[in-house]
Amino acid sequence: MDPMVVGMAMVGAGIAIGAAGIGTGIAQGQIGAAAVGATAENPKMFGKGMILLVLPETIVILGFVVAYLIMGM
Amino acid sequence: MLRPEEMTRAVVVGSIESLDVTIECLYELGVMHLIDFTEQDEEFRIGQPLPNASDASQKLLKLRSMIRALAIDSHKPASKLEVSDIRRTLDQALVTLDLNTSKKAEARQRIQSLIRDKESEIKALEPIEPFGIPVEDYEGYETIFSLVGLCRTDPEEALRSRFPDAEVLKDVRKGDVAVAVFALAQDRPEVTRVLTEHGLQELKLPKVTGAPSEVIAKNRADIAGLEKDLERIEADLESIRKKFADLIVASEEDLAIEVMKAETPLRIAASTNSFVIDGWLPTSKVGELQASLNSLCCGLAFVETLPMEKGDEPPVLLKNPKPVKPFEFFIDLVSTPKYDEVDPTIVLFLTFPLFFGFMIGDLGFGLALTALGAFIRLKFKGSVDAQKLGAIILAGGILASIFGLFVFAEAFGIPFHPPEAHPDEHSWESVASIPIHPMLDKMTDINEMLALSLLAGWTHLTLGFVLGFVNNIHHNRKHAFAKVAWLLILLGLFVEMMCIAGHATWTSGFMNDTVRAWVPDMTTEVAGIKVSIPAVALIVIGVVGLPLTEGPMALSEVIGLFTNLVSYTRLAALAVGKGAMALAFNTMLLPLIFDSHNVLFVILGALALFVTQAFFVFFLGALSAGIQAIRLNYVEFFLKFFEGGGKDFSPLRYLRRHSVATK
Repeated sequence: MDPMVVGMAMVGAGIAIGAAGIGTGIAQGQIGAAAVGATAENPKMFGKGMILLVLPETIVILGFVVAYLIMGM
Repeated sequence: MLRPEEMTRAVVVGSIESLDVTIECLYELGVMHLIDFTEQDEEFRIGQPLPNASDASQKLLKLRSMIRALAIDSHKPASKLEVSDIRRTLDQALVTLDLNTSKKAEARQRIQSLIRDKESEIKALEPIEPFGIPVEDYEGYETIFSLVGLCRTDPEEALRSRFPDAEVLKDVRKGDVAVAVFALAQDRPEVTRVLTEHGLQELKLPKVTGAPSEVIAKNRADIAGLEKDLERIEADLESIRKKFADLIVASEEDLAIEVMKAETPLRIAASTNSFVIDGWLPTSKVGELQASLNSLCCGLAFVETLPMEKGDEPPVLLKNPKPVKPFEFFIDLVSTPKYDEVDPTIVLFLTFPLFFGFMIGDLGFGLALTALGAFIRLKFKGSVDAQKLGAIILAGGILASIFGLFVFAEAFGIPFHPPEAHPDEHSWESVASIPIHPMLDKMTDINEMLALSLLAGWTHLTLGFVLGFVNNIHHNRKHAFAKVAWLLILLGLFVEMMCIAGHATWTSGFMNDTVRAWVPDMTTEVAGIKVSIPAVALIVIGVVGLPLTEGPMALSEVIGLFTNLVSYTRLAALAVGKGAMALAFNTMLLPLIFDSHNVLFVILGALALFVTQAFFVFFLGALSAGIQAIRLNYVEFFLKFFEGGGKDFSPLRYLRRHSVATK
């Protein structure tokens, strides 16, 4: 395959996971701050806070899948 | 395991004369979770506290105030005191203590406040000391006024030019200027304004007479005398503390228990001649309670068990074998399971160390973690939570060592043997030849590790849905069948993934030969991707089943299930990431140590290697592996079946830490 195409595909894979990571980071930052506050008031909120905290991870996981599919092609 | 301790609703009824003995018996056994009595009627009302309640509370109050006065809140007696000794000596000791401690503590407080007053007088008089004017002369005039204060800058010139008649005294000190102004009464607002411009802070003079220097000297002498008194009192209190601290702390505990027992009738139903204590107790303990009541109350109180009614919510006491118990720590962090819910502790016991071990996967770090876990357990014997956490780290460390030894064949990020692709890489061969070769290489077998992670995810999620089915089958069939629909979708997704992977990895090859051998081998190709028709069929059946069982909203979560499954690839990602980090530090620093032939470089290199390995790879690695391992359980696994919200079993009982009761 044309090395240019391979190179562009690699860049695409990088953008896919990198941008998804940034999105997740922004979302988790805000949720995490609130979750820590809630846990400080009531330690039993740790589990619930954690569940809410990881919801945005879906975004980066989908980014990972896309990157992996590009790498496989 | 999987189910909490079986509970029975029971009432203890008896004659009112046997109430105190019955309460004593319940506290001794510590098996009854009381249900507070609230619905009063003509027959039964809330019970009266036992006769000793008020006396015990009063003594307790006294003891607690003494504990504060003597500052012995955190005192721990060297040995436990016998309860009979405490009770025999307490009354007399209380009289002695009352005479000494309370009076002395009061005197100490008075002296301390006197010293504070004298010190604040000194502080107020110090600025005007150089002026030499008696304190009483600063006030009591009709046509002139005086003003004393501290200014940030010197106001003398400004005052003299504006008010030539005014008398201005000043003393330039370090950081400010002490000023005393005597001026005509009608100039007061103007003088104040000028002084304010120089940052005036007015001083209020104390109501004393005489020259400031004399007052200050007298106050200093008084303070010295008071401090001597204070020292004497402190010494007296110290000797009281030495003599009575053990007794006070132990009897505070004993009296607190007495008061708790004596006030228990406030939570139960009582009539003129009888009482009824309603509550839950483990089914296995009913016989024990009856036997104790028979022997202690001579037939005046007995237990009656009641059948469980709809809507009853028994308290939950998790029941797990000893090695599994520490993992209840993770359940406590979320929520207690409901009584009729599956207790997932055993699954955590199996999966947490496995996930953790796979992610760390290093003999050296594994052994270090094992040692850390053992150290925590030995060091913090008193703390229940530390014991549990120690056991969890210990288990994770053991699994990490096993993975490191047999699967990844590496210790401290350095492989036992150099990988085939890089024969000149540093390895343990230069120290000893270990006859174990890696089954997986973290840097090259990434696909294999991804496939293994997906397999772990499928197994874990399948177990989650099975537990969800078990939880729901008895009270909500529809929801139970929804779990079956989810299971079909999950199986379809997994089969499709294995179909795409084919025999590219050993794991996917194995799954294709076993799990997929059961489904018909029909594949087609869509946009260059292999699609298994039975897998699609499974997904479609599941998707059709969801709106019928869980409602149409469930459809939006199908993508969520896919991400749940892919989420397990973090197992591989962390293992690879940690391996790569260790490799990077080793590649940079090992040549420095072994090839530089310069002692300074060797020492520096070794130090840098130790710090980076210890901090980045060991500490951060263990922390993130621990968080990810528990997160996979909390989020991916628990959400498939766990509701929580159960009531903790908290029976009537007490804990003696400083006292001991011999029967």
